[in-house]
Amino acid sequence: MKNTERNKKIILYVILAIGAFIMFFPFFWMIVTSLKTGFEANKVPPTIFPAKPTLDNYVYALKTAPFLKYFKNSLIVTIFCVTITMFNTILAAFAFSKMKFPGRDIIFAALVAMMMIPFEMLIITNYSTIVKFGLYDTIIALIIPFTSSIFYTYILRNFFMSVPDSLYHSAKIDGASDWQFLWEILVPIAKPSLVTIALLNAIACWNSFLWSILVINSTENRTLPFGLFAFTNETGIRYERLMAGATIVVLPMIILFLFARKSIVTGVSRGGLKG
Amino acid sequence: MRVKVQNLTKRFGEVTAVDNLTAEFESGKLIALLGPSGCGKTTMLNMLSGILPVTEGQIFFDDKDVTDLTPDKREVGLVFQNYALYPHMTVLENICFPLKIKKVPKAERIEKAKEFAKMVHIEEYLNRKPKELSGGQQQRVAIARALVKNPKLLLLDEPLSNLDAKLRVEMREEIRRIQRESGVTTFFVTHDQEEASAISDYIMLMKLGEMQQFDKTRNLYNQPANLFVADFIGSPTINQLHGIYTEGGIKVDGDNQIIKTNNKWQVEEGSRVVLASRAEAITFNDKDDIKTKVVEYYLSGKDTLVNLKIGSYNLRGYIDATKAIKIGDNLNIGFKKEGVFLFDELTGERYYE
Ligand SMILES: Nc1ncnc2c1ncn2[C@@H]1O[C@H](COP(=O)(O)OP(=O)(O)OP(=O)(O)O)[C@@H](O)[C@H]1O
Ligand SMILES: [Mg+2]
Repeated sequence: MKNTERNKKIILYVILAIGAFIMFFPFFWMIVTSLKTGFEANKVPPTIFPAKPTLDNYVYALKTAPFLKYFKNSLIVTIFCVTITMFNTILAAFAFSKMKFPGRDIIFAALVAMMMIPFEMLIITNYSTIVKFGLYDTIIALIIPFTSSIFYTYILRNFFMSVPDSLYHSAKIDGASDWQFLWEILVPIAKPSLVTIALLNAIACWNSFLWSILVINSTENRTLPFGLFAFTNETGIRYERLMAGATIVVLPMIILFLFARKSIVTGVSRGGLKG
Repeated sequence: MRVKVQNLTKRFGEVTAVDNLTAEFESGKLIALLGPSGCGKTTMLNMLSGILPVTEGQIFFDDKDVTDLTPDKREVGLVFQNYALYPHMTVLENICFPLKIKKVPKAERIEKAKEFAKMVHIEEYLNRKPKELSGGQQQRVAIARALVKNPKLLLLDEPLSNLDAKLRVEMREEIRRIQRESGVTTFFVTHDQEEASAISDYIMLMKLGEMQQFDKTRNLYNQPANLFVADFIGSPTINQLHGIYTEGGIKVDGDNQIIKTNNKWQVEEGSRVVLASRAEAITFNDKDDIKTKVVEYYLSGKDTLVNLKIGSYNLRGYIDATKAIKIGDNLNIGFKKEGVFLFDELTGERYYE
């Protein structure tokens, strides 16, 4: 009895360890390669740790491409996208879950049906809209099309629906307006869901690539993924340099994740799921 | 605050949840809204609070027509059946919330919240979350939150239904005490007639959205307006003998005697009637001459509850425990004047003396 339980645990940990290793290895390889010299990076058989770690590749990367500028652009785009999307999502989810107006469910069903339209189809119309507005090759062009999301609205609406109506009525009787109920009660209760949505959204924004290639032309308006792409083209197959560039691009996300992990945990325990 | 409803009606599509209800409720009293499940108690309460718009009719608080006011403007406190505490806030924050909305300064609202927490005996739990409290404690938080803003009207929707028997009795006494102390007009919804009788000054008994009787609590027991009220109120349930009114008495179905009581009803000869009697209105004196048979008996302290048969009906009464009886005995009974009522079998309407 005890033994089988322990064996089960051992197997579980082994599987988890293998999984973690598989996930972690590419990152590890990227970082060690970025610290190698050109000669060592192409050596066969490869060395695991660089014999003489060097930051030359980073110096090169930062010199050839304005990664700091790209980083700033990515940051601006992500912050604006996430903030505006969250705001819109919260308001829409509230309207579609707690407010009563004629046609509510039909309108929502229509919106959900629209999720089936593939992004590739929207690209062309979005592109011409952006151009007509004279927003081509501006940071705003990277933000505006991504400030609302039916998918996140759908997720959040479902969460809001699970919050009993009696809380809404209770708040009304306590004198709260819809607006106060939303921000003082519904949003704090939904915090875990909101954190998850914001993170998913932030990652999607940060990594968004195809769209930025289409609407951005000048170097100074590039975001990180686009910047890396351009850098790749310019650098050729110098892997150690590419890896240095890639590390610069990925690092902020990793750092965000380390912080976000904490806030997810507190978000969940704050939400009172522990009972 | 005095509350008046006039021709109050609520329809949900085909269903009429509250039907043309007119009544006036005295200030400072505790009124029980009583009735079987689905009779419209919650609907009635929600219309008073403003959560539900009325279909027809008017609601007055004192002399002000509040029919079209939204809940936040009615100055009522409502305790929901499931308490509806805000799960992310502590007990203190929950109680403070109505004051926070009113923009009462922080120090003042905390002081006030603490005062009410003390009143409902939850001052030790101020920093806990609702999930860390028992049902009874949660309920008291909900009451404190409802009272803290000084409502003119307190509405309680089956607040005790989630509690065990002992706590129920404790909490209803608590509610009564709190209500007396604060003097706020209170509506208390319940489907338990015993609870309603124990706690209220007035009872409004409803059935399928219609008011059956609205009166002082004692009067529903002593002077039921119809058979439904007589049947609903009281434990054990009122005795009911169905039969025909003939020769100034009642001939019970399946029996040959004509039962005469001390009451003087004006009834048309040959009407179908129901003779209803409280268990304590049955006498077992030597001169009593109504013949019955003992079906079953239960000892309970100084009295024995006997179950008797007349014709095709059963009848319960309390007999002195010193009297020896056994199942199958013939036993003569009589009726007191009080606690005996006659109703029309079809309409349930009462024949008055
Ligand atoms: N939102 C609604 N839509 C349709 N019908 C409703 C609605 N709310 C209540 N009803 C109906 O109105 C009637 C009265 O309901 P109500 O909730 O007032 O009963 P109640 O007396 O509170 O019963 P209970 O003791 O079970 O809580 C019921 O027949 C119910 O089905
Ligand atoms: Mg109800």
